[in-house]
Amino acid sequence: MKIQKLFQKTLFGIFMLFGVIGISTSMLAIYTVDSQLTEEYESNARGVAKTIADSSVDIILNRDLSALQSLIDQFVEIQGISYIYIINDSGEYLAHTFVPGIPEEILRGEGHGAVSVRRSLPGMGDFVEVSSPILAGVAGRVYIGMDTGLVALKIQRAIGQQVYLFSTIFVIGIVAAIWLVNLAARPVANLLAYAVELAREQSGAADNGVLVRDDEVGQLARLFQYFSGTGDLPAPARPSPATPASSA
Amino acid sequence: MKRMTRRAALGAGAGAGGFLVLPRSLSRAATGNAAGFTDTEIVLGMSAAFSGPSRGLGIELYRGAAAYFTHVNRAGGVGGRKIVLRTYDDGYQPNPSVENTVRLMLKDRVFALFGYVGTPTVTRVLPLLKKFQDEKTYLFFPFTGAQPQRQPPYGEFAFNLRASYRQETGGLVDNFVAVGRKRIGMFYQADAYGRSGWAGVRRALGKYGLKIVGEATYRRGQKFTSVMRRQAQILKNARADAVICIGAYAACAAFLRDAVDNGLRVPIANLSFVGSENLLKLIAESQDEPKRYTELLVNSQVVPSYEDASIPAVREYRELMRRYNPQPPKELLKEAYTPFAHSFVSLEGFLDAKLMVEILRRMGDRPERGKLENAVFSVKDFDLGVGVPVSFSANRRQGLDRVYYTVVDGGRFVPLDDWKGRF
Repeated sequence: MKIQKLFQKTLFGIFMLFGVIGISTSMLAIYTVDSQLTEEYESNARGVAKTIADSSVDIILNRDLSALQSLIDQFVEIQGISYIYIINDSGEYLAHTFVPGIPEEILRGEGHGAVSVRRSLPGMGDFVEVSSPILAGVAGRVYIGMDTGLVALKIQRAIGQQVYLFSTIFVIGIVAAIWLVNLAARPVANLLAYAVELAREQSGAADNGVLVRDDEVGQLARLFQYFSGTGDLPAPARPSPATPASSA
Repeated sequence: MKRMTRRAALGAGAGAGGFLVLPRSLSRAATGNAAGFTDTEIVLGMSAAFSGPSRGLGIELYRGAAAYFTHVNRAGGVGGRKIVLRTYDDGYQPNPSVENTVRLMLKDRVFALFGYVGTPTVTRVLPLLKKFQDEKTYLFFPFTGAQPQRQPPYGEFAFNLRASYRQETGGLVDNFVAVGRKRIGMFYQADAYGRSGWAGVRRALGKYGLKIVGEATYRRGQKFTSVMRRQAQILKNARADAVICIGAYAACAAFLRDAVDNGLRVPIANLSFVGSENLLKLIAESQDEPKRYTELLVNSQVVPSYEDASIPAVREYRELMRRYNPQPPKELLKEAYTPFAHSFVSLEGFLDAKLMVEILRRMGDRPERGKLENAVFSVKDFDLGVGVPVSFSANRRQGLDRVYYTVVDGGRFVPLDDWKGRF
C-alpha cells in the first residue's frame, strides 16, 4: 500500500516514538532489575553469612571441622550461592566448597575483610562476595560468593520478555497506524484527483464521490467546483457545537 | 532427593539358600513392635550406599555383617531371636540417609541403627538421634572415622569399633615425616568426610610445626572416568612429596591414575574408607601397567589383613564368607556388582556384626533399648579375635585404636613393615 507523502512523517514520528519508549523502558527495566536483584542477592547472602558465622562459633571452638563443612555444604545448595569459605583469625582456610581447589585470587587474600566485594574468578565466573565476622572477627570470617551470572540471566529473561511484548505492540501499532493513515489519506487523494480532473475537464469531471461527502473534503470539492464555474457556491459549513451560532 | 529408598531384608539372595530373608509376616511383626524386637527377632536398621560410585562400600560392609548374622541365626539367633537387618540405600548422599533414618526409627521402629556408611551421611543423621534421644536408639559401628560421632554433642548416641580418621591420618603423617617426607599435600572429597580427614592431617602436621603444602578437592560422587588432571597439577605445583587422599575408591583411583600420568611420582596414601580392593580393581582393569600406578600407593586400614590366617577372627571371617557367600540385597541393586571373596570392608562389617551380637547377648532374654548402653559398657577386654582386647565405657565409645598400613605387592594389599625401605 502506498503511503501518502503528507502522512509519511507522521508514521516516521510514530516509529521514532516507539523506539524512544522501547529503549528508555528497557534501560529502566535493566537498571531496576539489576539493582533490585543485586541488592536482594547481597541482602540474602549477608543473612546467610551471618547465620553461618553465628552457628560457626561453637563448632570452631569446640567441635570437629567436619561439622563446619557439613554446615556450609547445606547452605551452598541454595540457588545463587556459588561458594562459601571460612577463614580463621590467623588466615587459615578452615572450610570451603571450592573444587578443584581454592582460586589463587582468593588465596592471595585480595578483598579479605571487606563486607562486600566483586570478584571475577577465571574459569568460574563473576561474583558478589559478602562476608560476616565470626565472634566479632576474633574467630575468623565467613565469605559467601553469589553468582552474578544468575542476576545477568534474570535480567536477560526480564528484558527478553519486555522486548517480546514491546515488539508485538510495535508491529500491531504500526499496522494500525498505516491502516488509519490510509483511511484518512484516501479521500484527500480522491479530492486531489477530482481537482486535477476538474482543471482539465472543467465540466463533467468524475467526482469519485467527493462532492457528496459532508466533511471538509466534500466542502473543498464543492468549493473547487464553484471556483471552476461549474457549480454553485456551497452552503457555509455547519458550525461545530463549540462554535457560537452567530457572532454578536 | 536422588536415591530410591527401598526396603530390603538381610541376606536376600544369600548364597547358601535364602537365609535371613525377612518375610512379610515378620516384617509386619517388626513394624508393629515399638521396641524393635519380637519373640522371634531383633531388627537392626542400616542405611548405606548400595548404588552409585561408592556402592562397593555399602555392599561389602553388608556382606561381611550378613555372613556373621547368618551364622548366628543358623545357630538359633540371640536368645532365640533371629537378627534381621532392615536395609535401605542412600547412595552415599546425606538427604536420603536422613529420610531412611527417620523411616527406620519412626516407622520400622528398629532396635538399633547399625553399619551406616560415610561421614556426610552420618553427620546429618546424628541430630536425629539427639532429637529422639528418649527412644534410646543408638548408632552402632558406622563405617566412618569422623569425629562428630566421637565427641559432644552427639558422641553419646553412637558407638564406634574402628579407629578414627584422626588416628589414621596421624599415623600416616607420623610415618611420612619419619621417612623425611614433610611436604604433605592433600586430595580430598569436598564435604564433611574430606574435611574430617583434612583436619586430622592438619592436626598431625601441627605437632611437627608443619602445614599442608597444597590441597585439591573433588565433588562427592565422581566416577573413575572423571578427569583429575587439574587436581594432580595443583599438588605437583605445590611440590608435595607425599599426598594423603581422603576420598572414596572411584575418585581416588582416578586421581592416582592422573597423578602418575602427569608425573606426580610421590607416595599417595588413602584411608581405610577408600575401599582398597575396589580401588585396586579399577586400576588393574584399566591400566596396562598397574604396577606403575600402585608401587607408591599406601593405604591405612583399621582392621588387620584378611590374608593373615594367623589371626583367629580372620580365619573365622574367611570360613563364614566361604560358607555363606552373602550377596547384597537384590532389591537395592541398580547396577551390576561383582563382590570380592574377601576385603577389608567386609572384614570390618564382619567384626561389627560379631561385636553387635556379643552386646545383644549381654542383654539377656529381655532386650530393651534402654539397657543397650549398659550392655555396651559391660564389654571389657573382650576378645574379638583380632589380637587386641575391646573395651567400652562411658568415656570410651570406640572399641579399637590400631591402624594398619598396607601396600600393593603382587597385585594385592599386603602389610607394610618397612616405610623407609618402601618410600
